[in-house]
Amino acid sequence: MSSPFNPFEMAQAQFDKAADVLGLDTASRELLRFPLREYHIAIPVRMDDGSVKVFRGFRIQHNDSRGPCKGGIRFHPHETADTVRALAMWMTWKCAVVDIPLGGGKGGVICDPHHLSAREQEGICRGWIRQVAKNVGPVNDVPAPDVMTTPQHMLWMLDEFEVINGGKYPGFITGKPVGSGGSLGRTEATGYGVVFTIREALKQMKIDIATTKAAVQGFGNVSQYAIKLFTQLGGKVVCCSSWDQADQTSYTFRKLSGVDADELLGITDRFGGIDKDKAKGLGYEVLPGGAWIEQDVEILIPAALENQVTGETALKIKPSVKIVAEGANGPTTPEADKILQERGIYCIPDFLANAGGVTCSYFEQVQCNMNFFWEKDEVLQKLDTKMTSAFHAVHELAQKRNLYMRDAAYVIAVSRVAKACKDRGWA
Amino acid sequence: MPGSGRTLLEELQERAKELHCLYRVHAICSRAEAPLDELFREVVGVLPVGWEHPGQTFARLVVGTAIYESPEAEPTPWVQSAPIRVRGEEVGRLEVYYREPFPPADEGPFLKEERRLLDTLAELLGQLLLQRDLASTLHRAEKRIGPAQTEHGDWWVIVDFLRQIDRPGYVTIARRMLNFLCWSGVEEALRLLPRFTGSWSGPAGPEEATDENRPMARRNLDALLKVAEEVFVIAAAHVAPGEIRTSIQRWIKDSRSGFLIEALENQGTSLTDIAQALTRFQHAALNDRDLSRSIQFDLRAALVRRFLTDQVQFVGVAKNYIEVSDFLELTRRIICPPSSHGKVGGKSSGLFLAVQIVRKSEEYAETLKDIRIPKTWYVTSDGVVNFIAYNNLEDIVDRKYLEIDQVRREYPHIVQVFKNSQFSPEIVKGLSVALDDFEERPIIVRSSSLLEDRAGASFSGKYKSLFLANQGPKRDRLAALMDAIAEVYASIFGPDPIEYRAERGLLDVHEEMGIMIQEVVGSRVGRYFLPTFAGVAFSNNEFRWSPRIRRDDGLIRLVPGLGTRAVDRVGDDYPILLAPGQPGLRANVTADAVVRYAPRKVDVINLETHRFDTIEVEALLREAGGSLPGVENMVSVHEDGGIHRPMMVDYEAQAKDLVVTFEGLVTSTPFVPRMRALLRLLQEKLGGPVDLEFASDGKDLYLLQCRPQSFGDESQAVRIPAEIPPENVVFSANRFVSNGRVPDITHIVYVDPEGYAAIPDLDTLRDVGHAVGRLNKLLPRRQFILMGPGRWGSRGDIKLGVSVTYSEINNSAVLVEIARRRGNYVPDLSFGTHFFQDLVEAHIRYLPLFPDDPGVSFNERFLLESPNVLATLAPDFAHLARTVKVIDVPATTGGLVLRVLMNADLDRAVAMLAPPHPHGERHIEGRRGPDGGGGTSVSDDPRRWRIHVAERIAAEADVDRFGLKGMWLVGSSKDGTAGPASDVDLIVHSEDDPAKREALSTWLDGWSLCLSELNYLRTGMRTKRILDVHFLSDSDFSRGTSWAAKVKAVKDPARSLPLRAKMGSPAPRKGRDA
Repeated sequence: MSSPFNPFEMAQAQFDKAADVLGLDTASRELLRFPLREYHIAIPVRMDDGSVKVFRGFRIQHNDSRGPCKGGIRFHPHETADTVRALAMWMTWKCAVVDIPLGGGKGGVICDPHHLSAREQEGICRGWIRQVAKNVGPVNDVPAPDVMTTPQHMLWMLDEFEVINGGKYPGFITGKPVGSGGSLGRTEATGYGVVFTIREALKQMKIDIATTKAAVQGFGNVSQYAIKLFTQLGGKVVCCSSWDQADQTSYTFRKLSGVDADELLGITDRFGGIDKDKAKGLGYEVLPGGAWIEQDVEILIPAALENQVTGETALKIKPSVKIVAEGANGPTTPEADKILQERGIYCIPDFLANAGGVTCSYFEQVQCNMNFFWEKDEVLQKLDTKMTSAFHAVHELAQKRNLYMRDAAYVIAVSRVAKACKDRGWA
Repeated sequence: MPGSGRTLLEELQERAKELHCLYRVHAICSRAEAPLDELFREVVGVLPVGWEHPGQTFARLVVGTAIYESPEAEPTPWVQSAPIRVRGEEVGRLEVYYREPFPPADEGPFLKEERRLLDTLAELLGQLLLQRDLASTLHRAEKRIGPAQTEHGDWWVIVDFLRQIDRPGYVTIARRMLNFLCWSGVEEALRLLPRFTGSWSGPAGPEEATDENRPMARRNLDALLKVAEEVFVIAAAHVAPGEIRTSIQRWIKDSRSGFLIEALENQGTSLTDIAQALTRFQHAALNDRDLSRSIQFDLRAALVRRFLTDQVQFVGVAKNYIEVSDFLELTRRIICPPSSHGKVGGKSSGLFLAVQIVRKSEEYAETLKDIRIPKTWYVTSDGVVNFIAYNNLEDIVDRKYLEIDQVRREYPHIVQVFKNSQFSPEIVKGLSVALDDFEERPIIVRSSSLLEDRAGASFSGKYKSLFLANQGPKRDRLAALMDAIAEVYASIFGPDPIEYRAERGLLDVHEEMGIMIQEVVGSRVGRYFLPTFAGVAFSNNEFRWSPRIRRDDGLIRLVPGLGTRAVDRVGDDYPILLAPGQPGLRANVTADAVVRYAPRKVDVINLETHRFDTIEVEALLREAGGSLPGVENMVSVHEDGGIHRPMMVDYEAQAKDLVVTFEGLVTSTPFVPRMRALLRLLQEKLGGPVDLEFASDGKDLYLLQCRPQSFGDESQAVRIPAEIPPENVVFSANRFVSNGRVPDITHIVYVDPEGYAAIPDLDTLRDVGHAVGRLNKLLPRRQFILMGPGRWGSRGDIKLGVSVTYSEINNSAVLVEIARRRGNYVPDLSFGTHFFQDLVEAHIRYLPLFPDDPGVSFNERFLLESPNVLATLAPDFAHLARTVKVIDVPATTGGLVLRVLMNADLDRAVAMLAPPHPHGERHIEGRRGPDGGGGTSVSDDPRRWRIHVAERIAAEADVDRFGLKGMWLVGSSKDGTAGPASDVDLIVHSEDDPAKREALSTWLDGWSLCLSELNYLRTGMRTKRILDVHFLSDSDFSRGTSWAAKVKAVKDPARSLPLRAKMGSPAPRKGRDA
């Protein structure tokens, strides 16, 4: 057996691949293969029983050549520096690919909120800020919620930060509730972003969106808004799948005349489970969960979990399929990726397709910093502009250099960051 | 009515009245500071109670020129009077009048005892006047000799009165004083002892009537009186006056409660008689706390035995908390047949005792002062006997000995017969009174069986509980109530309880069932009636989701609406879980998880349809959320990915964004401390962990039920044998062990921590999760365990634990997380948090293992070196064989199974290899309880029946018509582990001819329907279809899909079934199949 899986090494390997394509110099590589700064901190917290427990935390700033670092804070019992390093690096590329002026960072605390009371968690949040307050902030490093952290955690952190700095800095943290400095349009952002990229891809292929059909996997937030916008633009979504809690399996709900997201939402429980019987009543066919991938459609939108398009399921993709737009994170396995590539299916890779979320976080920060909040339309319009130009940059590079879209996205992200570093004389 | 016509009881009653009257007058007179006017007015007021017809009696007191009398007093001819003298001089008169004529007695309508009482009272008043007259003298005397002497005079007065009016009583008191002095070691008293024990003994009271005819006795009595006087003289010398007075008062009260003791000791007295005696007891202003301990406890114990239960342990606890006066409260709401000897039954007793404990607690008085119980009426346990006798249904009692399928078949008819029978007029009257008391509030009719008292037999959910809307005209409500009681009665003869009793050897024990009619706690919300929340609470937490939660932190399962959804596991919904000792540690942390595991349905009583309904929480909120009391503490708002307490919320309009979290209830109300105090207090006083049901109308918290927690099947601690041969132990654990029964395990899926950690790439790591998911589908349900490193279900960092979803492990019986030391660091475990609530609701046990802890066994060799059947079961995952081990336990060990014994009381769990249980059917879900101990089992072995059935099908099938090539039995039926609800899994290999396949399928469908009906009659388990048929085409067969793999498997192959024609050959039988 070789050495165990290490996410940071994997991230470095991905970077190396893009760096090779770009022919990056050694200094740039040395700079970008590792984070610029790392803070390893100890957070003493008075527990409910009166004892003090010390938690270990991190903030890792991978690169801020293009702007303040941006990235979530994770609470995880098995958090490791390498995981956080990898995630910080991915944030750098993610911000660069949509061309927003932010760098990459990530933070975390080794803890399991399941075993902590709310008061103790507040102690961790405030303690974390106290330790890194000097090194983060709206112009340095902007955190956000992530694994097992919530808007509530963010508000505790923001409050502590503002107490320490003696002022109001809503732009210090994103992911806040609307009314506490959050941005409108956040719910729609990711799903809409997916469809903006699809729309542009179809234009490039000279296909009228009104003639296309799509199959969607999942019926969560991303899928719902993707279906809505796609339908609004004239396309037709023929099916979507959803998880059935009672049966512990998923089903595909098909309506060849077109899925209506609002109609399905009316018969959906809180976690996206669609009521089978009611769906039948509305004229939907209820098919096995995996059926979404084998539909006669032009577009597939996997927007549920990772590893859904596999070497096995990719074989079921119909010849009519032209585009796979990755709404979820990592829905395609490398094996399936190869199949897509061989068949010439146009893939809009996850960190481009679902970058609507991070873009909206950027908008939240912008609005907070100027203390002026846009209407939802304005947010979504600006999102459209950003996503559209991001798409075209990647697409053009892919065309020009004959790259697979996923590789092109990486290359463009790395090149933008490398250039910023060079311009500043860092490499 | 003196003389022969008077019963002994009446006489006793009269005497008690007199004493009562005397006592009260004495009490009034002893208030030295009060003005005489006030005292006299009070004396006139209490006097009538000493006479035979108190209602028609009034008194008049003339002292000098002052007259004290009742306002409405009009002198009548029927009067008795006595002079009041001070120093021999008449200063006034005491007169007692009857308002109307009564039959003549000793002195006009008055009894001779009444004359004596009147004289005594007059004398007492004289003494009072004298006392006051001498007030100044006394005052001076007090200064000189101290207060003790005056108090001495105080008790001496009592003794004096007693000697005058109740000599035997006087002697008795003297005797007790003598005993008391002897115990205190007073030598003079010891010398007196022989003279007292001489010839006359026995209690005071009835003997007196015969005294007059027995001169010898009288002489003895006189002698005794002399001795008695000496006793008190000695007492005065040795005992503090205060103590003498208290003792004497207590002894007098003891003797006055004699009638109640007698009523209780006499087995012939009915509940009604006892109730009357209790009323007299109260009437006599007696409080059992004033009695001496022995009598107090005797009385209480006797009452507990008559009304509640014979169970020694219960009586032992109950007598410390339930006072005599508490029973009076109970008797006011008891409905019983005439001359009843029934009891109220287990459920009622448990609640009644719990309530008394709560009320009398001093430690938690402040916390628990507002705990309530719903208004409750009781029908005694012999009500059902009365019902059966009244309708001549005696034959029915024998039905319990029938075969279970016949019981099941007849049961619907029994229910109808019961529902169409009449209740006796006494019961109907009682129920009618109860309904007047309940008014039009919804009620629940619950069984309260006598057998519930027996340890180890919980009968939980075996007998019916029925909700009644109780709306409309009284006639309809009464009819509905009687209908419900009849239905609950009929449930005694239902197949489930009969089978349950048979398993436990309780079939021959006479089952009587009390009924508890309880007001449903709650309020009207729109069309519905429901409590704001309800649930169950346990002293011991068997489902800890964090290592910080200790077992004795307890567990609460909380739901909106009626508690039915918290008591039962409903499969498609979740209760809110709380550990009252650690309310801050919640099972769900992220907003997603909180929403996902929030209760979504609510049980209510529909006041329009008069039915019990289950509706969506959202629908309820949309309809009338704002009018649900306490809704602000029940729900939180889910928006913007966060969850927060409601503020300025329009509950109806925002129903879709509301999630039931009970956040407000936990953080802003005293609910948690109260529940915690309740659990602590009841556990401490009842001497063991308890299981409570509660509900709240949004304002008050009500206790609905209290029983020992060990009664619940699922929380039984499993006995761990003292000496297990070390070679048979596969692993053991000694931290965070919960209780729980685990069925016999036939397969172990072991993900080797070392192997897993060494996997270099993400895809292979994910594959391990998929392999587990596949095995979850292939292995027999609830008969395999999953063992793996770290955190099962880990999403983010997959290398920290196998990445699976709940659906990939949902058939497992136990989930084991292994924390191996790495250097000096032992990783945290998840405690199943990723799908904790799913595990709880599905009874999947969780066990953390720390193989490197001292005193822990971990047979890694067995796990790593046993033959691995992974490649056979799931050939496409064969490449993971170095990491994922699948052990077929019986095949590896020559027929043994793995038993996982979990005992939280010892905090110890052992997984050992052992022979399978004889019936091989220990299914967790089937609510099977502990081993019955010699009961007659009426259910056959489900496995044998299934094998037989499968063989019959194969033998009957027309091979040519169906193109049949082979038939095999797989799964639980073949492994000898089938339970009553298991399927029969058949693999059928037939020709690839659609018509033949279709015909075969139809033919098998017929069998399936028929078999499930038969199975239902045998076991009561409804399964839609009992046959689960997997068809194999020729190509499947040659390609070797997973089912075909089973047929061809070397290890654990499917069992081949002989077909009618020459086709197929029987597979060699395995030892454990025989």
